[in-house]
Amino acid sequence: MALSRSFVLGQHYPGTSVVHRSGALVKLVSTIALMIGVFVATKTVQYIPIAVFLAVGIGVSRIPLRFFARGLKPILFLIVLTVVVQVFFTPGTPIWQFGFVRITREGLGLAGFILCRLVLLTLVSVLLTASTSPIELTDAVSDLLKPLSHIGLPSAEIALVMSIAMRFVPTILEETERIIRAQVSRGARIGEGSLVVRMKSFIPILIPLFVSSFRRADDLAVAMEARGFRVGSPRTRYHARHFRSFDAFILLGTVAALSGVILWRLFL
Amino acid sequence: MSIELKNVDYIYDSGEPFEYFALRGISLHIDDGAFVGVVGRTGSGKSTLVEHLNGLLFSTRGDVIVDDERVSNERTVLAKIRRRVGIVFQYPEDQFFAETIFEEVAFGCRNYGFSKEQVDESVHKAMSTVGLDPERFLPLSPFQLSGGEQRRVAIASVIAMGQKYIVLDEPTAGLDSGSKLAVLTELESLRQTGNVTVILVSHNMDEVAEFCKEVVVLDGGTVAFQGSTDAFFRDAELVDRTGLELPESYRLARALKECGSTLTVNEGSTGRMLDSLRLCVSDLGGA
Repeated sequence: MALSRSFVLGQHYPGTSVVHRSGALVKLVSTIALMIGVFVATKTVQYIPIAVFLAVGIGVSRIPLRFFARGLKPILFLIVLTVVVQVFFTPGTPIWQFGFVRITREGLGLAGFILCRLVLLTLVSVLLTASTSPIELTDAVSDLLKPLSHIGLPSAEIALVMSIAMRFVPTILEETERIIRAQVSRGARIGEGSLVVRMKSFIPILIPLFVSSFRRADDLAVAMEARGFRVGSPRTRYHARHFRSFDAFILLGTVAALSGVILWRLFL
Repeated sequence: MSIELKNVDYIYDSGEPFEYFALRGISLHIDDGAFVGVVGRTGSGKSTLVEHLNGLLFSTRGDVIVDDERVSNERTVLAKIRRRVGIVFQYPEDQFFAETIFEEVAFGCRNYGFSKEQVDESVHKAMSTVGLDPERFLPLSPFQLSGGEQRRVAIASVIAMGQKYIVLDEPTAGLDSGSKLAVLTELESLRQTGNVTVILVSHNMDEVAEFCKEVVVLDGGTVAFQGSTDAFFRDAELVDRTGLELPESYRLARALKECGSTLTVNEGSTGRMLDSLRLCVSDLGGA
């Protein structure tokens, strides 16, 4: 029943390591750069600079590896599916054949390549969200979008919407569990029977959830207004940002990893 | 026939570094037809205990036995247990989803395969039990009622299923005092006329003193006391140690005694206290 425990992607793992303490904006930019790097690479070996940098980051962060493993769980199905498709359906020189089933050298290579890509992308984002609190992260997003506010993008509001959404994920998960318990106690069978029956069985959960979410949104709007919030007015920040020496290390490492990938692709 | 817990442990995240004993060695016995209070400070394990009674949670160690049936994760057992034990959770009106009150109250009955006539009959009976006129309320939307009425509809939606044991987790939280008393009085009459066992989780000691003859006191996931409610509230030291408060009537009786009063008062509940005080005063007047 513990829904709230199974969502790691986008979850914070509080800590005091240098990775936790470094600037959220720096980490966000680094994450985006590393993701670009992952897509720039055309061969599995070219991932090495990114993987090394990421491994150092994970090691230094002191977040248990189990936490990262749990982060991979939600996309496990996607990984298995793409790997299987790549292994069996890539044309090329066969290394094993049984009837029409055939595994090719190219297929294995491509499968490994895709596998590494998915794992790297996930691990990079898990490291970011695990080491950065949601509030720091939304502040960073708002900083990143700030230049766009000159062309009319409400960057502060977007950041606020994001932070509110993230703030309420655990609350709504808890609420869902609560409603499921109540309906199960009234004899509801959830996720059993034919597809139509199964879909219908979600109505007694979804409607109460909508009702309570709207009520919550209303309450929150009133509470924010009562405390002087107005859309479009400039906001100050509670947490001051400092540039730490480790931020420089992250930026340097990111630049090194990214240029490593680019150079490898261009010249080797 | 009864509900029995034998040495029940419940551990959250068992085996993990953050494992946490929510219940530790709970042994209980709840007789048929009783009105039992479950009390304890916040975090003492009341809600966890309640969820064991109809198989929403399963004990890590020990047995929960409902009418000779051991609660387990097996589908047929679960169906049987849930057919016998109904739970009204905190703020049960948050579970509303149907367009009319009739549909809302009928939901549980339909899930248990009642025939059309049975559904009709149970819904009407449940609405009358909670003091809402079926003819007037059944066609309305549950969302357009007042808080007190919503709470009663939610309670009706559980008792309509006709379960033998009804567990209520703070059914009076957030209600005005009139509705509080009405809801509990309706439960008491359901117990007497419908042969239902009522298990009431509550933070309100006055309520517990008034309605529950027996009480189970939880403290830190263990049973600190089980027995007569009066015996518990007479042990002021135990009440204090378990983080609870004395009901008003017991406090008044103590205050009277400390003043050297020799009046014989019934401290069992506020109502009985008032009655016995009136009697004393009229005696004095007569003398």
